[in-house]
Amino acid sequence: MANDVRFEQRDAVDFAIIGSGSAGGIIAKELSTAGFNVIVFEQGPYRKASDFTHDEYSVIIESELLGGGPQQSGQTFRHNENEIATSPGVQPIRYAQTVGGSSVHFSANFWRFRESDFKERSMLGPISGTNFSDWPITYDEIEPYYTRVEWEIGVSGAPGPFDSYRSKPFPMPPLPVKSSGVLMEKAAKKLGLHAQNQPHAVLSQPFNGRSACIHCGHCMMFGCEAGAKSSTLAAMIPLAEASGNCEIRDRSAVFRIETDGTGRASEVLYYDKDGNEQSQKVKAVIVSANGAETSRLLLLSASAQHPDGLANSSGYVGRNLMFNAHGAVDGVFEEQLNEFKSVQVSRVIHDFYETDETRGFYGGGGIDARPLWAMTPIFHALEGMPHDVPRWGKAWKDEITNNFTRQMTFAIGTTSLAMDRNNITLDPNNTDQWGRPAIRATYHDHDDDLSTVQFLTHRAEELMDAAGARKFWSREVGLSNGGEHLLGTARMGDDPATSVVDRYHRSHDVPNLFICDGSSLVTSGRGQPTMTIMALAFRAAEHIAKAAHANEI
Amino acid sequence: MNKKDTVSRRGFLKSTGAATGASLLRIGAPSLAAIAQAACTARDEAAPFTTLGADEAADFAAVAARIIPTTDTPGASEAQVIYFWDNVLGGTQKGLLGAVRSFRDDINAGLDAVFSELSEADQDATLRMMEQDMRFEICRNLTIFGFFAMEKHGGNKGHVSWDLIGFKGHHGAWLPPFGYYDAQRDAEKTDGQ
Repeated sequence: MANDVRFEQRDAVDFAIIGSGSAGGIIAKELSTAGFNVIVFEQGPYRKASDFTHDEYSVIIESELLGGGPQQSGQTFRHNENEIATSPGVQPIRYAQTVGGSSVHFSANFWRFRESDFKERSMLGPISGTNFSDWPITYDEIEPYYTRVEWEIGVSGAPGPFDSYRSKPFPMPPLPVKSSGVLMEKAAKKLGLHAQNQPHAVLSQPFNGRSACIHCGHCMMFGCEAGAKSSTLAAMIPLAEASGNCEIRDRSAVFRIETDGTGRASEVLYYDKDGNEQSQKVKAVIVSANGAETSRLLLLSASAQHPDGLANSSGYVGRNLMFNAHGAVDGVFEEQLNEFKSVQVSRVIHDFYETDETRGFYGGGGIDARPLWAMTPIFHALEGMPHDVPRWGKAWKDEITNNFTRQMTFAIGTTSLAMDRNNITLDPNNTDQWGRPAIRATYHDHDDDLSTVQFLTHRAEELMDAAGARKFWSREVGLSNGGEHLLGTARMGDDPATSVVDRYHRSHDVPNLFICDGSSLVTSGRGQPTMTIMALAFRAAEHIAKAAHANEI
Repeated sequence: MNKKDTVSRRGFLKSTGAATGASLLRIGAPSLAAIAQAACTARDEAAPFTTLGADEAADFAAVAARIIPTTDTPGASEAQVIYFWDNVLGGTQKGLLGAVRSFRDDINAGLDAVFSELSEADQDATLRMMEQDMRFEICRNLTIFGFFAMEKHGGNKGHVSWDLIGFKGHHGAWLPPFGYYDAQRDAEKTDGQ
């Protein structure tokens, strides 16, 4: 819908929302349709469904949706604070810069967390050297919002045997099974495990005026040209704009939240599309920029009253970064799977979700069946070859030629433990394309996280064997070098000494500053956080609107 | 997706900043240029290069043709990968131009002839000696990209690479069954009814 809403910079708007992704897009829709004036700041451009392509070279190699890659972002990475962080060839912190944020380019695997995820610390006890904690909310409190996500953005699926309870069925059936899913079912049956339907934020049927998935096979890392992926771009932002109360201010990179003499947020400073400094007066600010960008912005907004960064009296801004650890076992089969068609995943195994203390370490995860590398040709040729094949020449060409349509992966997503040593800080040497200090990630997986990946890699190898793979090989388990899941860096909690926001996402330090995105998560789940981020956003918006109506902001 | 970065991709991108920028382009004699154009063109009309000189294009095309050789099926030559190189090395991957030029120069410095004039066996032997070189990695990656990227980027002429591996990226939509095993399951279900 065409939208001409433009708010004056000198008039304080009710809410400035920094970020248009999984959380920001939902909060924008909720607050604007509730009658509040909202500006959504998005540093990327306003691409529409018709702008998305299958151009693998531009999207994956040239990082089109990521804003252009490491040269533009200046991001740096190191494994511990004694190292000087360097700028690796692949951008370490990966998220989409486009209206709709990473909900545009994610794979749309869409699990709810379980009841246990919110109270694992109480169930299992402390883990030394970590900030392992219970959430301030329970599954019961978030469940209605999981249901809202499913019914308002559009989620396809069917319940699995280990899922926590749901108050309403899925609004539409699961997407069709793929060959990888059939092979996983066969293997799981042999091993006494359970291959369940993978829920997706992708429409299996027309829904709310949007069309169903056309199985084009370009979900992961691509935008959906059919509008069937339930990004906030497809599902929420059109409703926000239709309210007449919401301006999407794209290509606007916020670099500072200004506070007034009373310590309240009063102004948002940003670079416009031409790189010129601009400012917007605000009554309240909601930061939903993702776990890395949110941390950076709060740290950049330090002032005399907030010397360590805005909302950072606890020192917890940027800390407890959790990527979710990952593993993969690749296999080749006799017949063609054609995994390049349709969504990534159709079946997932959740038998190893819970921590089992007999394993000797904390953690759990899921194993799903998907093309992964065999999704697109360049990705497959670069990353998907067995270790024992030459890297060029006839033998290599023959392997690619045979395997592309016959290959699949059992992909592993696991827990990450929250620790002080894993964090987002401002890089002292590098800047991004706008001149802001670059995001510096410091990350060294907890031994338990790596043990979990190793454990699940062995299970995935057993599954691949049982599935009848002609040949299979595993990714070596090692330290993370970056991530897409940017969790925990402004965690929610009741104690202002050990958390950044309260249970309703209001910052403990600044009454008119709210933070809601992946940074709010207290624990990491098992590798699919977006559903929970979206549920938190619906919940946060409800409480923020209530407080605003009561004049309590 | 998996976060692990293999040497190949990291290496390629890492080199972006490390490119020397030293241009060692030879001034090719007209006859050599004509040979070079002929060598790397399956194109209907020999399109001119915009970034590369004809002689260096001939060598790079020969390198690409050993990385993805023509066998009983098409390789880098048939996909006209060299036009992808020419396109991106003058554009988004300009920073790599110096590195690939210095790579070529180093290779040719040790030869009596130029690389493109060697036998395929000698070309393979030469590249095997250089395959740990970061600049070989760049050549390998450019060849993969040029072979498989959409035709609009310069290579993958007529989608030869996609036809080769069975990818049908230019199709926009699919219906189930997608592959052998889900089709087989559907068939079993139907039989069982």
